[in-house]
Amino acid sequence: MDNSHAEPTPIETSPVELKPNGPVAAVFLAAGIASLVLGLFVVLNEFSPDINSFLKFDANFGLGSGVGPLSGKVALAVIAFVASWAILFVLWRGKEVDFRRVLIASLVLVALGFLLTFPPVFLAFES
Amino acid sequence: MQLTDRELWTLIHGMVLGALFLLAFGGGLAGLWSLRPKLVTGDGVTERTPRLLIGTTVMAVVAWLTVITGTWIVYPWYRVAPPEGLDLAIQSAELKEFPRYWLLASEETAKWHEFGMEWKEHVAWLAPFLATAVAVTVIYYGAQLIRHGEMRRAALVFLTLAFAAAGIAGLFGALITKSAPVA
Repeated sequence: MDNSHAEPTPIETSPVELKPNGPVAAVFLAAGIASLVLGLFVVLNEFSPDINSFLKFDANFGLGSGVGPLSGKVALAVIAFVASWAILFVLWRGKEVDFRRVLIASLVLVALGFLLTFPPVFLAFES
Repeated sequence: MQLTDRELWTLIHGMVLGALFLLAFGGGLAGLWSLRPKLVTGDGVTERTPRLLIGTTVMAVVAWLTVITGTWIVYPWYRVAPPEGLDLAIQSAELKEFPRYWLLASEETAKWHEFGMEWKEHVAWLAPFLATAVAVTVIYYGAQLIRHGEMRRAALVFLTLAFAAAGIAGLFGALITKSAPVA
């Protein structure tokens, strides 16, 4: 039997239980927080020689070799991402949150991350 | 015809992973854009959800692999310091082995490092955070994502921002490599 002209299945419109948005909101905000943390450490690295030395995680903590302060900046951003995601996930698991507000906050944080990693901006803080 | 270790890793970092990221972005963008009740049937949602899930997950994984290989494998070759006594003010053949210092040795090429590399090495790291958020959204909701227009649009925005971050890094990576290859 030729099924090529079979009626397409419509999208189910009956009410179904939708998953709460908390867990997804958590990862969006965590991405924003990580972006800001990265940007902040990029600026602080230029601002303070002490922080520059601390951020050399390759030399200080054996995290790679020859990477320099970039190793600390990205390691701290990744830690911020994982930690904030885990905390927010626990707080918002099974809950419905105001996603619009979370998204706006996340976008502001990501925009700051982009801004602070732009060389003319962070090099303005060079000590 | 052979590739050195450095050539192989720069190839993996820039072209293999970069091409995969681009492909996955295209699939993710098309999938998320068209995942609207007025555009797809129930069968269509069932058919395209696994593809969207694979595309966004691959994009996130590839984004992480790209920045990790770039930061911990390729970047140290770029920034390795030349031995003492080598003139850092002349773009000599010896200095070419040390790309960062070779670029800085001339005013004509210094901006590739001072602007290009400084931007690339940092902005690239935004991509995996953003791409992970998109992948988690698709994994969590699956076919239900079609009922969450706000989530779908948010995922589209983050997907595009991830691509922008990776695109800036990729573009400068290619241009810097053309000027001062690590291989």
